[in-house]
Amino acid sequence: MEKRDPEGWMRTEYENLVAQSLDWKLRTLQGPNARRSIVDGKEVVMLCSNNYLNLSTHVKVKRAAREAIRTHGAGSGSVRPIAGNMDLHEELERRIARFKRRDAALYFMSGFAGNAGLIPQLAGEGDALFTDELNHGSIIDGVRLTKAQRFIYKHNDVADLERALTDADSKFKKLLVISDGVFSMDGDIAPVGDIAKLAEGFGAMVYIDDAHGEGVLGEGGRGVASHFHVEDKIHVELGTFSKALGVVGGYVAGSNVLRNYALNKSRTWLLSGSHPPATTAACIAAIDVLETEPRHVKKLWRNTRYFKKQLVSMGFDIGHSATPITPVMLGDSAVAKRFSERLFDEGVFALPIVFPMVAKDRARIRNIVTAGLRRKDLDDALSAYEKIGKELKVIP
Amino acid sequence: MRRVGFVVNPIAGMGGRVGLKGTDGRASEARARGAEPVAPRRAGEMLESLRRLRAASEIHWITCQGPMGSDSLASSGFPPSTIEIATSPPEVTSSEDTKVACREFEKRGSELIVFCGGDGTCRDVFDAVGRRIPILGVPAGVKMHSGVFGVHPATVAAALDAWLQGFLRIGDAEVLDVDEEAYRRGDWEVRLYGTAKTLVEPALVQTGKMLFAELSDEAMKDEIAEHVKETAEKEPDSLLFLGPGSTVEHIATRLGVGKTLLGVDAYRGGKIVGTDLDEVGILKLLEEQKNSKLIVSPIGAQGFILGRGNLQVSPSVIRRIGVSNVIVVATPSKLNATPVLRVDTGDADLDREFAKKEYLFVVIGYRTSKLHPIRS
Repeated sequence: MEKRDPEGWMRTEYENLVAQSLDWKLRTLQGPNARRSIVDGKEVVMLCSNNYLNLSTHVKVKRAAREAIRTHGAGSGSVRPIAGNMDLHEELERRIARFKRRDAALYFMSGFAGNAGLIPQLAGEGDALFTDELNHGSIIDGVRLTKAQRFIYKHNDVADLERALTDADSKFKKLLVISDGVFSMDGDIAPVGDIAKLAEGFGAMVYIDDAHGEGVLGEGGRGVASHFHVEDKIHVELGTFSKALGVVGGYVAGSNVLRNYALNKSRTWLLSGSHPPATTAACIAAIDVLETEPRHVKKLWRNTRYFKKQLVSMGFDIGHSATPITPVMLGDSAVAKRFSERLFDEGVFALPIVFPMVAKDRARIRNIVTAGLRRKDLDDALSAYEKIGKELKVIP
Repeated sequence: MRRVGFVVNPIAGMGGRVGLKGTDGRASEARARGAEPVAPRRAGEMLESLRRLRAASEIHWITCQGPMGSDSLASSGFPPSTIEIATSPPEVTSSEDTKVACREFEKRGSELIVFCGGDGTCRDVFDAVGRRIPILGVPAGVKMHSGVFGVHPATVAAALDAWLQGFLRIGDAEVLDVDEEAYRRGDWEVRLYGTAKTLVEPALVQTGKMLFAELSDEAMKDEIAEHVKETAEKEPDSLLFLGPGSTVEHIATRLGVGKTLLGVDAYRGGKIVGTDLDEVGILKLLEEQKNSKLIVSPIGAQGFILGRGNLQVSPSVIRRIGVSNVIVVATPSKLNATPVLRVDTGDADLDREFAKKEYLFVVIGYRTSKLHPIRS
């Protein structure tokens, strides 16, 4: 028998991805993620970051990180349950709870770690889990780690969810409903109010992943639960500091019992080294900014409305987004790829979403508007859109 | 009056009966083998059905001179005043004539294009008008996997009628095609060609057989198989009937047994206890059996779980097993392409018992299910 090649299988798999153009070609930012960034050596208008409020370069956030390194050092030295639980971590969790108007919060390594670590602890053998068909991959992975029966309901379809809950009601012990707050591909918002009210009737737990609603929706950017005024009906609000809040790390917010349970059970929390002081302090500062400087959220929406309005008036189809996520529907995948390359040539960084993520003729460019963009940045991006749109005969 | 484009591909379907698996590039060979035109007859059936419906008089037809349209309309009794000739194709037509015609229909303000042909014709129509105009297909080809086809000509007429009355929505449907060259070689390559606009009425419009998410279908079949295996292990005394199809075949492989692809086999306690059973064979096994389950997967896009391809599972078999012990399995992409599950057991009471449920849980992965509508 021929000797095994321990990495040969990986080479084959990777080459398959490359052959189908499904591999990620990484772009490199030289310097900060900002309204204009240097990407692969070229200055571009940033239209594909999740840095909704441009807080990653906010002076107070940066200063807090520097200061924490001075007072607490570069790393935490341990996991939270042993010797890595710093006053900064606890302060951040109190601040999250206050901001979200909840009793308590728990800070995770990332939103992904929150979903993958907590969901499997919330439902087990004999329980049932109800999950939107378009939920994020981290929810899907968390769900796959449970022993519960899983019911996938149609995207944002409360009637379908109700049928599934009704059928499962008598057969299962605990019921848990999980949905994204904002869906990241199309930018549409889940009917969180209706979901919460429906679940209440069944005594079901409600878990909302608000990664894209945090800092964007609700009063002062408090998220989708605030947007629908149902904070008291959501049992787990998962959020992240890596998007609108401009730093990194996930969290769950809810009751004291949720926090106590989660920190004793979530393996991703128990077994990961805790966040470094700089990151943690920067997160606290980001909440400070959100609480004291309402202009960022307002600017985000002003930019979003302007950008969408101009695109529509040029004749682009921008889908059904209700958030700063702004898809420009182009149909053909090849056109979308070409469009994105041309945008980059013209100094605009926006990524194409193509087959097989969407059907071959439903390809699009996904733009994410941020608060940091100035009118001139948006106008430059819009004139590039107009020029290329005409060039590729997408608009008349 | 509503302006409707109408085009017949006169050679569509000719490859079928003479074993050519499609007429792409093979029309003259099909004729030489003695093929008879199929499409004009199918077009006629649709138009005859339509003429009996109230809304027929509300259509202003935009069509082609001769066998590509006006012949069928005239012989079905539509008055000349309601027929507008857009193009006059040559005697021997090609796919280019279909495209030219559809572009002209668009120019002349068609709200909808009704075409008569198969997947190849569908592709041509879609190429010409894209997603700008909804299209509806009268099935007349060799292969009709695309989601814009009515189940048969009369259902197309019914859909048109419902649309004229404002009962239907414009929705998306996959345009699919089998690579005919590959198919003739014995390969089965269904591709997604695009997403057309069509009239949406799940009970009337056939949906594409597969979707683009085929990438993970094998993995999903593994998961479904694992789920069924777990169910079987929990109840080792239970008798499991395995229906036809590749998803269920996959389950058998995971259970560690061989299974006939198109037959109904029985499994109990780790081994096959009946192969390619007929109704009598199934009932005999059931005589001494307390609990049993039937695993079925919907057929194609029409969504039949019972009554198509598994007639051996007769009404008395289903009653004996129990409606609630019928487990439906399907990969997510197949389920997406199947708007509604259907039963046609031949026993109206039994069909009603299924239809009464309105929705059935379909197993789409390990411990994972999704509700799907069911009708009889």
